[in-house]
Amino acid sequence: MSKIVILGAGISGHVAASHLRRKLDKIHEVVVVSPNSNYQWIPSNIWVGVGRMKSKDILFPLAPLYKKKGIGFKQAKVTSFFPEGDSETEKPFVMAEYVSEEKRGETEKITYDYLINATGPKLNFEATEGLNPGTNKAYSVCTYTHADHAWQGLSALIEEMKRGKEARIVIGTGHAKATCQGAAFEYILNVEQELRRQKVRDKAKITWISNEYQLGDFGMDGMLLSYGSNIMKSHEMVEMVFEDRGIEWILGSGVNKIEDGIAHYENLDGEHKNIEFDFAMLIPSFSGHGFKAFDKSNQDITEKLFKGFMLVDSDYTPKPYEEWTVQDWPETYQNPNYKNIFAPGIAFAPPHSISKPRKSPNGTEIFPAPPRTGMPSGITAKLVADNIIDSIKQQKESLDHKGSMGNMGAACIASAGFGMTKGSGISITTFPIVPDYKKYPDTMGRKLGKTFGEIGLAGHWLKLALHYAFIYKAKMRPFWYLIPE
Amino acid sequence: MTRRISNFKRFVMMNPIIQFFKFIFLSIKVLLIVAGGHGGTRETGY
Ligand SMILES: Cc1cc2nc3c(=O)[nH]c(=O)nc-3n(C[C@H](O)[C@H](O)[C@H](O)COP(=O)(O)OP(=O)(O)OC[C@H]3O[C@@H](n4cnc5c(N)ncnc54)[C@H](O)[C@@H]3O)c2cc1C
Repeated sequence: MSKIVILGAGISGHVAASHLRRKLDKIHEVVVVSPNSNYQWIPSNIWVGVGRMKSKDILFPLAPLYKKKGIGFKQAKVTSFFPEGDSETEKPFVMAEYVSEEKRGETEKITYDYLINATGPKLNFEATEGLNPGTNKAYSVCTYTHADHAWQGLSALIEEMKRGKEARIVIGTGHAKATCQGAAFEYILNVEQELRRQKVRDKAKITWISNEYQLGDFGMDGMLLSYGSNIMKSHEMVEMVFEDRGIEWILGSGVNKIEDGIAHYENLDGEHKNIEFDFAMLIPSFSGHGFKAFDKSNQDITEKLFKGFMLVDSDYTPKPYEEWTVQDWPETYQNPNYKNIFAPGIAFAPPHSISKPRKSPNGTEIFPAPPRTGMPSGITAKLVADNIIDSIKQQKESLDHKGSMGNMGAACIASAGFGMTKGSGISITTFPIVPDYKKYPDTMGRKLGKTFGEIGLAGHWLKLALHYAFIYKAKMRPFWYLIPE
Repeated sequence: MTRRISNFKRFVMMNPIIQFFKFIFLSIKVLLIVAGGHGGTRETGY
């Protein structure tokens, strides 16, 4: 009998837990440890942040589902890792602190045979002075509560605009090394459309601010894509969309301080500037959770498990941008020091960024960190689950399932406005996610037929269809497993 | 110079009938890319 403990019930943790439970005999235990009582479909937070969906539409409680499916659930947050056990406990374990009402503050050693760390990112608002969602007129849409606050802030501003106020709206990244530009991109287009719907668009100046060197970088070094009969760079496509929507842009900028209605930033020319706003949505930097790890004799071995995020089978040797290859990227998400620990989704430490690193003359690094969107998070979680299932069934380590982001496609269906007839979406697919400049030297590291963009109403329908399909899948309704990650 | 979206292009982007077929096409294309598989990169000829 094996016990598999999964930390986190986001996209990757939940995907891993559901596949493990479906494919493993009930004599094996599957336990999820996560502080959040609800599963949330994060991509739809964009629509919560413009008031077109309620947060209840994008979440459901985990405990009843896990009870029904025979998955153990502890509403707790993990604080430290003991991959060798300790003087009292033979088996490896994690230390968790309960956050549920009944058990708040209680701690427990949770032992495991296999551990999946799917704790995603820490939303590191503290890294930017004054950036705290809902204060200083700056908001976030990274969680459903943040998105609810953002909509409260935006709708109050819309009411003022209806009374004649001229407003400045700033949306983008809130740190020099933030990632998740795609989410901010979706949000700015949805806000723009909402202002038009509310007939106050003429009252607002909307500005995109980002650490990208060029528009459309998305933390992926941009891409060359086919768009209808044209071949264009992603920056040309995004410029075209922003121009069409009357959105201005400030690039190569690392926001470093927020005051009431003012964002201070440094740009790649080394200039320190600021921009005033009446409403801002700025994505914070993502970091590891600051977990500690200890060996059997209680010595700190954090560096064997973590480098910010969790260490996996990447090549972490520091090398210049020109020498980076797709082979640096992990394939099995297994920790090299403790072979029964895995980290899919955002929880693994990437070997380096995907976008070219850039510094200002003052030495400040200003470029996006590598994104790991929902699709690769789900795919990597499933392959980790499959390797664990094989290892349990064959009673020896099996790592046949592999999935490098350098040999994996991703689809980004970016909402550009909500509405069955007036909505819009920008659908971009990329293959591979991490550009392979050796294999595809003439097309910016990507395969052209599989890297394409489309703009239009169909994109909105597709994003909406994905919302319902993925919530259906997450609720583990009949044949859920036929829906791909 | 930044490209512009022409009126014709905008018509195509927002026409529900054309977009219905685009929706089918996009769904299949996205599915093929997702279900098209993934793998490692460290073996030769991956
Ligand atoms: C606004 C927004 C829009 C997005 N839109 C898209 C999109 O359209 N398409 C797309 O592909 N991707 C999108 N993404 C990215 C996508 O949401 C992420 O890639 C995905 O959520 C990553 O999954 P994950 O499971 O690795 O991390 P998460 O989803 O962040 O899950 C982490 C889990 O770990 C738990 N946890 C945290 N700390 C602990 C602890 N100490 N102990 C135990 N558990 C812990 C959390 O509660 C959570 O359940 C978007 C992201 C944002 C923020």
